[in-house]
Amino acid sequence: MAILEAENVVMRFGGVVALDDASVDVDPGLVTGLIGPNGAGKTTLFNVVTGLLPPTSGRVKFDGVDITRAGVAKRSQMGIARTFQKLEAFNTLSAFDNVRVAVEKNHRTKWKHQRVNDVAHEMLGKVGLDDVADVTVGTLPTGSARLVELARALACRPRVLLLDEPSSGLNEEETSSIGQLLLELVADKNNDLAVLLVEHDMSFVMGVCARIHVLDFGKIIAVGTPIEVQADTAVRAAYLGSDEFRGAYVGVDE
Amino acid sequence: MILGLRPSVVITTAVAVVGAVILTIFTWAGSPVTSGTFLVATYTGLFLGALWAMYATGLVVVYTTTGVFNFAQGAIGVFSAFLYWELHVNRDWHSIAALLVVVGLFAPALGVLLDIMLMRRLRTATLVVQLMVTVAVMVLLLALVGVVWEADTARRVPFLFGIENGVDLGPSRLPWHRLIVIIVAIAIAVSMRYLLRRTRIGTAMRAVVDNRELAALNGARPNVVSSTSWALGSMLGALGGILIAPELGLDPATLNSVVIIAFAAAAFGALRNLPLAVVGAMLLGLLRQHSETWLDFGPNFQIAHRSVAPLLLFAVVVALPQARLQVGRVAHHLRRHERYTNWWEGLIGCGVIILLAVMLSGGWLNFKIWDPAPWGLLELNSANAALAMALIGCSLVPLIGWAGQLNFAPLAFAGFGAFVYLKLAGDTASGYWIPLVGLLCAPFGALVALPAARLRGLYLALMTVALAQAMSLIFFPHPSVIPRTKVGLQFPDIELFGITFDDRRGFFMLLVCTFAIFVYALVLLRRSRFGRRWIAINDSQAASATLGVPVVWTKVVVYAVSAAIAGIAGVFWATVAGNLDSAQSFDLLIGFEAVLLVAAAGVSIPLAGIFLIFKPLFTGLAARLEEAGNVDYLVTFLDQLVIFGPGLMAIGMVFNPRGAIFEMGRGFSPILPWRKDARAEIAAENAQKREPEIGELGLERPFTPEEVIAIDRRLGILDEVVPKEGYGNSRS
Repeated sequence: MAILEAENVVMRFGGVVALDDASVDVDPGLVTGLIGPNGAGKTTLFNVVTGLLPPTSGRVKFDGVDITRAGVAKRSQMGIARTFQKLEAFNTLSAFDNVRVAVEKNHRTKWKHQRVNDVAHEMLGKVGLDDVADVTVGTLPTGSARLVELARALACRPRVLLLDEPSSGLNEEETSSIGQLLLELVADKNNDLAVLLVEHDMSFVMGVCARIHVLDFGKIIAVGTPIEVQADTAVRAAYLGSDEFRGAYVGVDE
Repeated sequence: MILGLRPSVVITTAVAVVGAVILTIFTWAGSPVTSGTFLVATYTGLFLGALWAMYATGLVVVYTTTGVFNFAQGAIGVFSAFLYWELHVNRDWHSIAALLVVVGLFAPALGVLLDIMLMRRLRTATLVVQLMVTVAVMVLLLALVGVVWEADTARRVPFLFGIENGVDLGPSRLPWHRLIVIIVAIAIAVSMRYLLRRTRIGTAMRAVVDNRELAALNGARPNVVSSTSWALGSMLGALGGILIAPELGLDPATLNSVVIIAFAAAAFGALRNLPLAVVGAMLLGLLRQHSETWLDFGPNFQIAHRSVAPLLLFAVVVALPQARLQVGRVAHHLRRHERYTNWWEGLIGCGVIILLAVMLSGGWLNFKIWDPAPWGLLELNSANAALAMALIGCSLVPLIGWAGQLNFAPLAFAGFGAFVYLKLAGDTASGYWIPLVGLLCAPFGALVALPAARLRGLYLALMTVALAQAMSLIFFPHPSVIPRTKVGLQFPDIELFGITFDDRRGFFMLLVCTFAIFVYALVLLRRSRFGRRWIAINDSQAASATLGVPVVWTKVVVYAVSAAIAGIAGVFWATVAGNLDSAQSFDLLIGFEAVLLVAAAGVSIPLAGIFLIFKPLFTGLAARLEEAGNVDYLVTFLDQLVIFGPGLMAIGMVFNPRGAIFEMGRGFSPILPWRKDARAEIAAENAQKREPEIGELGLERPFTPEEVIAIDRRLGILDEVVPKEGYGNSRS
């Protein structure tokens, strides 16, 4: 059963329809992809799911419970964590403190100082940022700051992890190690984790995602395995009529 | 939903109306209602409302087009009114000529100057820096007025066309002056609305505030646009000031406080809606005049009529819908490593503070201008007053410095603490009550923050201004709050650990130790989970919320902590002064100056409160020197420093938002033997010159070849062949 479901979500900003009856479901133990051209509504969907935007209509369900009206912090405590496309790291705090803010809020052992530090170091280690733990995040390169956001989101012990373009700002090697990390995390039954991934790097998406939703002008135009999606004519049309959109699309969002 | 209005609006309106009816019934003054008195109250109210609408229009225009909320709007009016008086009355110019020169030449020039020097650099600054700079401009303009036009002569600005000429309206007469004000205010509001909505420059003005780069690429010139806005805003302020001066008299503080009413009116229009802001101003005028005519609040609340503006602001804040958490607004300009004091450095620092205080007061450290003898009563008194202010300053550190929430009412919080202490300890003055004072002040702070914490930070800032005014108008003047019945001191000397701190030196040491404890507590608090979380909500509210941090609640907690600190500080503050006077002790300007100084010191640093010692200390020092009578120039210098220092320092935040102590620390820390990291950082910074942001390039002019190289390097597509001329410059 799907852990996270967005049902028939409509999001209007004045006359602009950012999401038009979009439905997305995310299963535990898998990495689910969400792709689409620029301005398709991917980030808007993330904002609706995490509660930053109230949808014009439609519902968001988590673990079978309707959370459409729940607040952002409440959803986080239920187990929805995310990263941001435009960085939202705590720039004046160190990488370590960024993660500690999340650990302190989401772990039972919150008053045990040493335990908090251990968990925070573990999370930074997972994304490979041990050596910059004490550096102020505002001074880190964009790619590293993005990884801080990932470590911070992992520290929330999420059941659903929403990643908004985690690979931008990373080199090929770093990207593949993040892909590897995601696959390991969802494969571990103890984590009981589901990942929803927005990404422009098609080889990355096709490599890690078990299922993919394709969004275009706010509508879901295709759902399926990477192979099915790549064969879909509507998807090809959406990606500028490109015959072979695998790897051909280089996006610089906003 | 009634009439398509939000439930919160409907409920607040209903509560306000019911409250007004009940208030009217219980405070009816009993004066006969005739059509004459009713008419007079109505058009006087409309006239007042029209004046306030002029100020509010200026605020809204500047805010919608530049994103900066101008606290100096009232001060621009004050300065212009004085200038008008100088030209028209003192130099006998014709009123129209003086008006044209002040409103048509001086005011726009001032606006453009402010924009070029300060305001356009605030585009990417945090709310704290933005507001601090406009408040600094306000304080500086008022200080300048005080210096140029000394308060030794009585000045009057005459009404246009005299007070006795006007239209007959039944039983009384509406002077031309007032009629003109009403017409002009409405005409201005309508034309501003037209300008913003229907003209090309207006569209550009609104576009630039949304996305400066995008607007520039589409042909708008952001700098021209923002200068136009500031010139317009400044002209409106000037006109308002000149027209209101005949009614209120030429008193800088009174004239300046008009702007707080304009805040409420602007808030009524959600800070951006011009017609609603004008309606709000008119509503305020009518409420004020009618309540003054018909209601009598008794001898204890005589000036309560004036608090309609703060009350309307409270109501508006309660009625406004919750603000959405903004994404993508993270300040990216703070690209500098920040290190926080650890526990043993804090201990050493606090030890040094105490040691310095002992040596200074004992006369072991002496400067030439000063006797080597131990401090006498005079020095100790100024030092105690200074330290009490520094204690209050400590309350601003977690609030403004870490959580990024503003508070212009530190004195109101401190005064509340003094009030609680007075009620708890009574005549015993036992210091053991002080922790309980802190505990009781915390809910008060939370209560103030609660309605506005769910809105954008600016509303909370405005709320605290309203709070400061409402408290000084309604709460503190009430005789049973801080009674004046006794002869002598309301706040006797504190008794603690079996010692009565009745001699000044002992009390000085108590204050120094309390300050050291406060600073050390802040050092520890910064390193705790709370300090981290508060900074996190300042850096990104959206991210904090998605990590499970309840943003609104966290803000409320910070206000509670700040109020507790301020409350405890207030006990010492009141005890040093001996008496609290509702008019002088809680002067809004003193509060503004205190916040400015702490901000300029570097408000995220635990020690920042120390900057508040300067004003009382310099005043005391000047008095001491004057007594000695041999260094006139130094006395004058210190006097001027006290007057202009806070404003000038705070203006420095445009260029150096981290504050003075931060920069001093950066210079000083490499000397410390254990700070290898500081030395390494300085070396690294010197080695690497900052490359311009890609986004900043190419908007005002074509790329230079060097910039093209920089861009290519950033994008990682730099060819080894260095491009020759003509590569990036299409005209060559």
